Amino acid sequence: MPSVERQWIGKDVPRLEDPKLLAGRATYTDDVKLPGMLHAAVLRSPHPHARIVRIDTTRARALPGVYAVVTGEDAKALTNPLPAFCAEPVVQYALAVDKVRFVGEAVAAVAAVDRYTAEDAAALIDVEYDVLPAVADPAAALAAGAPKIHETLPSNLVFEKTLSFGDVAGDFGSADRVIRRRLRWHRASAQPLETAGAVCRFDPVSQRMDVWSNTNMINYVGWLIAGALKVPASKLNIVPMYVGGSFGSKHVLGKVIGIAGMLAKRTGRPVKFMEDRVDNLLASENLACDRTYDAELAVTRDGVFKSIRVRVVDDYGAYFQFGHGTHGNALAQVTGPYRMASFEYAVQCVLTNKCQQGVFRGAGSDAGNFCLERLVDAAAQELGIDPVEIRRRNFIASDRFPFKTPCGNVYDSGNYPAVLDRALDMAGYADLRRMQAEARQQGRYIGIGLATAQQRSVYGPTEFWFWYDQPGLTTAPESVGLSLGPTGEFVVTMFSPFWGNSPETVVAQTVAEEFGVDPSSITVTYEDSQHALPGAGPGGSRMTVMLTGAVVGAAKKLKDKLARIAAHQLEAAPEDIAFADGKAMVRGAPDKAMTYTDLGLKAYWFKLDLPAGMESGLEARHTYDHPYLTKPSADRKDLGAFYPMMGHGAHIPVVEVEPATGRVRFLRYIAVHDVGTIVNPKSLRGQIMGGIAQGIGMALYEESAYDAEAQPLTGSFMDYLLPTAQEVPAFEIGHVETPSPFTEYGVKGGGEGGRMIAPAAIASAIEDALAPLGVRVDEVPLTPERLVALVDAARP
Amino acid sequence: MKPPRFEYLAPRALDEALGALAMHGDRAKILAGGQSLIPLLNFRLAHPDVVVDINRVGELAYVREADGDVAIGALTRQHAVERSDVVRSRVPLLAEACRFIGHAPIRHRGTVGGNLAHADPASELPAVMVALEAQLTLARAGAARTLPADRFFVGPLATAVAPGELLIDIRVPRASPRTGSAFVEMARRAGDFALVGVAAVIALDGAGRCEWARVALCGVGGTPIRARTAEEALMGQSPAGAALDEAANRAAAATSPPSDVHASAAFRRKLARHFTREAIRIAAERAGRS
Amino acid sequence: MPATVAITLSVNGIQHEITVEPRWLLVDVIREHLGLTGTHVGCEHGVCGTCTVLMDGQSVRSCLTLAATADGSSIFTVEGLAGGDGLHPLQEAFREAQGLQCGFCTPGMLMLAHELLRENPSPSEQEIREAISANLCRCTGYQGIVEAIRLAAARPSAARGDQRHAFR
Repeated sequence: MPSVERQWIGKDVPRLEDPKLLAGRATYTDDVKLPGMLHAAVLRSPHPHARIVRIDTTRARALPGVYAVVTGEDAKALTNPLPAFCAEPVVQYALAVDKVRFVGEAVAAVAAVDRYTAEDAAALIDVEYDVLPAVADPAAALAAGAPKIHETLPSNLVFEKTLSFGDVAGDFGSADRVIRRRLRWHRASAQPLETAGAVCRFDPVSQRMDVWSNTNMINYVGWLIAGALKVPASKLNIVPMYVGGSFGSKHVLGKVIGIAGMLAKRTGRPVKFMEDRVDNLLASENLACDRTYDAELAVTRDGVFKSIRVRVVDDYGAYFQFGHGTHGNALAQVTGPYRMASFEYAVQCVLTNKCQQGVFRGAGSDAGNFCLERLVDAAAQELGIDPVEIRRRNFIASDRFPFKTPCGNVYDSGNYPAVLDRALDMAGYADLRRMQAEARQQGRYIGIGLATAQQRSVYGPTEFWFWYDQPGLTTAPESVGLSLGPTGEFVVTMFSPFWGNSPETVVAQTVAEEFGVDPSSITVTYEDSQHALPGAGPGGSRMTVMLTGAVVGAAKKLKDKLARIAAHQLEAAPEDIAFADGKAMVRGAPDKAMTYTDLGLKAYWFKLDLPAGMESGLEARHTYDHPYLTKPSADRKDLGAFYPMMGHGAHIPVVEVEPATGRVRFLRYIAVHDVGTIVNPKSLRGQIMGGIAQGIGMALYEESAYDAEAQPLTGSFMDYLLPTAQEVPAFEIGHVETPSPFTEYGVKGGGEGGRMIAPAAIASAIEDALAPLGVRVDEVPLTPERLVALVDAARP
Repeated sequence: MKPPRFEYLAPRALDEALGALAMHGDRAKILAGGQSLIPLLNFRLAHPDVVVDINRVGELAYVREADGDVAIGALTRQHAVERSDVVRSRVPLLAEACRFIGHAPIRHRGTVGGNLAHADPASELPAVMVALEAQLTLARAGAARTLPADRFFVGPLATAVAPGELLIDIRVPRASPRTGSAFVEMARRAGDFALVGVAAVIALDGAGRCEWARVALCGVGGTPIRARTAEEALMGQSPAGAALDEAANRAAAATSPPSDVHASAAFRRKLARHFTREAIRIAAERAGRS
Repeated sequence: MPATVAITLSVNGIQHEITVEPRWLLVDVIREHLGLTGTHVGCEHGVCGTCTVLMDGQSVRSCLTLAATADGSSIFTVEGLAGGDGLHPLQEAFREAQGLQCGFCTPGMLMLAHELLRENPSPSEQEIREAISANLCRCTGYQGIVEAIRLAAARPSAARGDQRHAFR
């Protein structure tokens, strides 16, 4: 499968991260303890929409052990509004100012000697509200006379636009048939087991703010966080922590940092604010898409897909902090792995009185895949074409890459037929269909699902703004430092946090590959933001590509220097020096070599033996920018390449459905992914399986639900249901590798694919199981009650 | 999510515990396994002035045979009941139901008495006790009284336990010959609260007809629902076919289920019908083999 | 009534005499007062299991246990597994099979695995899944954890459990 045999890239190198995680010795944010540190608790709004008339903190402040109580007035004095990725004037502070806009919005915060006391005090804060009518869903939000959630906006329709590429009208006009589906993708929540949190320490004399937090984007938008904290950017230091999972929910933790920061300013002591689980469920920075799609696929009678029209209404909740980026994200792969020449995408972003959206693994492309693959299954069904065959008929052929999609994004490489073939082979597809036929005779409802879908990686920041006319940021970098010490040891310094992906292992394997050393000999460290280089951090499945790129860049610089030192020492030309087996050696004369220890000693301590003019020491830093990012055209007819490292996967779940109860159980789950050159197979497999488990959650269990009065219904883990080991099957995972032409080693990202493809595949499987009853699956999560309702509705 | 302040007492013997409860009356809440009470404290949904921690009253933890019945001390951990040879052989319904209570770590601490006294409408054990016509003994300083299970549960999270009283003993009859029992439930995930649970005990005569039946459901009312009309539908019949359908329909009709984010009342009623059939069918099968 | 209670906890074989407020949760006392931060807080209502420790040999949710109730108990946490000479064979098995990603659920899962293998040295896949379904993992999809426990079970030294901290 891999076309190139390498020494370390592609091997199951044991993770460097694991020993301390296993020993319980990794420092997560809640493990931080500083002298004099106080603990914060937050009082939250019980109303979805209300004016704050009066807050009386007298009783709270009088409680022994309480150091400070802050409200929106303090937020206005001590902080600025939170950074937002949208152009619209949607203002949000870390504590509600004048108005609350969702149940759970932070209204006041307390700093006290311990969390117990802080919560006691929070219960003593008296808030008088003037309750306003609440908006519980997009229809209500858009209705004439709807209550306005933000006075700074003309209406609750915060953004609306249609983008059109190619000849959509022509392709629809000439189609033999138009397949139509209305699809519903409910709001889910990332819910990592570690909640968001921050410890802030403020020095009023120097105006320096130190932050320990599980936030991401420390060296990307750190300056925006400084702005929100009202400290000079150069005086903000953020320390990256080990993070107990994020899945997109910890990108820019303005709220927890803002709360801890303002209490640190107010008390003059370090303050820790860790969300508890209720805080996270009600007020997380990052709930996921909440979409209703009206989508159409234009097809020929032979099942060739001509074009797709997507109209989507997305319920963003009460704020627009991350903008419509999840629709920019979806545009990377609207036409999927298929050859369509045109598409139209019309989006309405609507505000309601719920917690805001952000991103959750898949970040909009998960819902997009669901939309497309449901249409594909519908087309197969309506045209009477086998669902496997119809996909083959439309795949972009493997000799067509790099492939430019109608909107301008590029797919770098791929071999979709090979992935599908491998999945069918692993599944024993023909046998499965036979088994299904026999089971149907016995009155059992067994379904075989299929989804063949894209999993883009390495986001381009243009996706945050190309829906607007004004241009925006075009940098999304990642950096590393690489040094070789006087004892011959390599040290890699990283500037973005660990999320549960394997960044330390990736960089160690890359250094090992570049220099011919054992990865376990490499030390990896993290650097605070004050000493850091730029890095956008994990997200969008970018880290494998960006870290390998950064390491290769730094390695090149270091190798240049090492080659010149060795050449000088060994009396050879620098271009004749090769690096392998722990040494630098003259090509063709392996006994003429210097070990890395020799080189280290020489470089640090024997300046007069170095080439003239060379600095002593051995350190290189490199900032690797997005390897293939191009600007959108001014008319937005060509969005440029913004997510070109395009992976792909085929999932075949086999389920048994019980129509009387709505229970679904997995008999098998086959998944084949192509994410380019694989760096660490075990690690990738883990990401895929974890992603599929979250996809199972999305398909069957997880919904961040609100009632008709915008009151949250899933405010605990008894109601927001994460799958356990008994809901998740054993997986059969296969791989295909089509290396990227644009990245180092041909790697692509594969962290999100599991969750991006599974919901579509599972919907397909359940629909297939209930085909004898004529049930269509157009909604996820498909809870037992929803499933039984579909069965009952389909019965004559 | 931290508990509010409370006064704390940790008696080491039953009379000490009863004395504390007598002194503090309705200001006191009893802490046994804590698997129900401590979440309420952490959510600050409960604010007891006094917590009486009875985990050291070891005399309340036992499983023993007593005059053909099985007597279980209120402080007996659910895990111990599940694993008890006496319970497995004499009252298999109880052992079977215990396996549905949460997960093992919860059952290591949760007690039978605590679970019954908490009276969550979705809990398995209350329905089992109603199906078994268990006798529950409540003690107070200087007195005790025994009442049948169906008078113990009075409403959601409400029992007949009065201030100053402590549930100390649960007595269940051992399974008689030619009976079979079954506990079935449906939950959203393994270990979750039941959407619907059904406890059934069926006694068959020599010809395979139902001599008597006990059917109780959880999750479908404010208290466990004893489906007497369903039981009547089975009397003298083979528990299959039309009689089974009728029993299932009557059980569903006897429910007044709640609606929540996991299931509406109508859906729970549907499930009640389905799982009543299941429970009776399995219990009858086991009775036939016994 | 006194506002605090004096308790004794044996944690990983070491006796501690501490003064606690009765309402303090065992997980907080372990983390804050004993400085053993390997046990984590995830939900504080007994669903996620990241707070799992062994109390008198049995897995319990330390977020649902008052420290005061635990007076006189013997507690075993993840810090008790690895010795001075490296990781415990169970931890090695997790490493080899990649039974972890972010590590947050891992200490709790190790406690469950430790208990399972002590009681059932050769568990089936179903028995493993049933045991670990008591705790949530959001990263691995569970299969790596199942494989880690199977791997540990196949190695007798891990299956017999660590005898260093005997508990009843």
